[in-house]
Amino acid sequence: MSHDLGFWILQALNALQLSMLLFLLSIGLTVIFGLMHFVNLAHGSLYALGAYFAASFAAVGGYWLGFFLAPVAVAGVGMLLYSGLIKRMRKSGPMAQVLVTFGLIFALLDLTRIFWGDLALGIAVPDVFQGRTAFLGVEYPTYRLFIIALGMAVLATLEFVLRRTQIGAMIRAGVDNDVMAACLGINVERLFFIVFCVGCALAGLAGAVAAPLLSVTPDMGLQILIPTLIVIVIGGLGSLKGAIAGSLIYGCVQTFGAVLAPQLASVLIYALLAAVLVIKPVGLFPAKG
Amino acid sequence: MFSHNTLRYLVLLMLSGGALFQAFAAEYFGLEILTEILILAMLVLALDIVAGFGGMVSLCHGALMGVGAYAFALFSTQFGATPLMAMGAAIAITGVAAWVIGAVCSRSHGIYFIMATLAFGQMAYSYIFEAPLFGGDDGLGGISRLDLSLIGVDLDDSRSFALFCLALLAGVYLMSVLILRSGLGRSLTGVMHNEQRMRALGLTVWRVKADVFGLSGMIAGLAGALTAQHIMYISPGLLGWTVSGEALVVVILGGLGTLVGPLVGAVAFVLLKHELSAVTTYWHLVVGVVLIAVVMSRANGIYGFIEGRWIVWQKGRGTNQTASHAAREAVSDA
Repeated sequence: MSHDLGFWILQALNALQLSMLLFLLSIGLTVIFGLMHFVNLAHGSLYALGAYFAASFAAVGGYWLGFFLAPVAVAGVGMLLYSGLIKRMRKSGPMAQVLVTFGLIFALLDLTRIFWGDLALGIAVPDVFQGRTAFLGVEYPTYRLFIIALGMAVLATLEFVLRRTQIGAMIRAGVDNDVMAACLGINVERLFFIVFCVGCALAGLAGAVAAPLLSVTPDMGLQILIPTLIVIVIGGLGSLKGAIAGSLIYGCVQTFGAVLAPQLASVLIYALLAAVLVIKPVGLFPAKG
Repeated sequence: MFSHNTLRYLVLLMLSGGALFQAFAAEYFGLEILTEILILAMLVLALDIVAGFGGMVSLCHGALMGVGAYAFALFSTQFGATPLMAMGAAIAITGVAAWVIGAVCSRSHGIYFIMATLAFGQMAYSYIFEAPLFGGDDGLGGISRLDLSLIGVDLDDSRSFALFCLALLAGVYLMSVLILRSGLGRSLTGVMHNEQRMRALGLTVWRVKADVFGLSGMIAGLAGALTAQHIMYISPGLLGWTVSGEALVVVILGGLGTLVGPLVGAVAFVLLKHELSAVTTYWHLVVGVVLIAVVMSRANGIYGFIEGRWIVWQKGRGTNQTASHAAREAVSDA
């Protein structure tokens, strides 16, 4: 194991790439929760759906067709779920929501198996991002750099929308106090619907960009769910800052943990989560103090 | 506080009668299913105590069961303990682990509690998955069953083992009732309904939660030790969070906070699973849809639905004393 500077830059890039993927997932989940106190455990299944849609579209019209259409398709599925299920469960306690979305995980898992089969699907990296690029003195796969850039771009866009636009102000108001926001004439119901669809689209996007890295399997949604939940619980529910901080912490602990303490690597992140919950039960940067 | 009513006694009688009949009438495959139901029933009883009577929706009970199974396997195969000693050790270790988890998580509520317990469950899963001592992802085999030849019972016979599990389940059920009726159990229900009030009354809330979680963990540990003996082979998959999720599904399917309901749920779930997987490989889809339907119907599971109707019927007959009591017991959302 060489511990020169290049090695650390490589690990930092790995950590960043994992963080950005988790950020795309957790931001949707966290804002949905922050705005409507709705726990969607099936968010990971939407990610898997995104990957499958991307693989199917890519088989027809190349990578970029999948990249752009998968989020739209997943948002469509989200719309169906919202009107059929989630709208009715909004006022129930967390327990009922956890269970309904848990049932949804089962159902979506088997539906993907019925439509796409049990075999893993592959999807090729687009030609533009083939190979490696020299970056800060190290050779790094171009496609992974693209994921990092995409994550940053989404982050910047969300930051801009949430901080500088009227709809962002409405979302922040809804997260802080949804009853008061409704009293001020904000249609919180419609706002939630929009945010929910955007959250689903981001999950679909995460699935589409992750598809060439990992193979597309039915249980990929189950595998990503726990890291996503850890991210938002460490970061604190409902805030952009929390999602970023949580993703970066998870990415770094996971990547550097595997390098520095391989025996402890898998337990480390859970121990950190437990520590955060003991010291600050609502996470590091919760939306509400 | 938990109390029985006529309907609960009736269902218990029917369930135990059915189990006894099955234990003597069934062939090998039927006995395997019966044993699976009995062990699952113990796990979901443990979960119902904390979730239904304490509002602590735990997503680590599957992992606790796994800890019990691994502790049993480790003590009996590696450390040379007799199966009885190994079983005691498994129950004790799981109880201590659960107590610690309960103590740490006692400050969190709602979704945070669920996440915190999930984290502990996953921690155990990851650790066992990678530790060479536990056989890693290959699992552990060569586990022997309890030796009851002193009293002339051979547990390697699946009929004897099923009856043994049935007897233990009866014991676990009685113990659950005792726990819930004790001062500790009553405090727990008080904490679930109004934590501030109980604190103002001078109760150490976290201790109550941790103690009950520990006791519940001991039951899960027993279920784990029996699982290890039943299959005689264990793998880390036993600790995965979907196992805990399935246990929660069973509790909800039967009826949360009734003790009898989860037993009904365990029977319904295992039978549904076996019947469906014989017909289609996509049985998870059906289970998922059934679960969504049960939760959205707002009935408290299969048994809760029946009991609700029964209470209405009893009220109609004018004997509303037991009925109103049972209605107060009916717990909706935790």
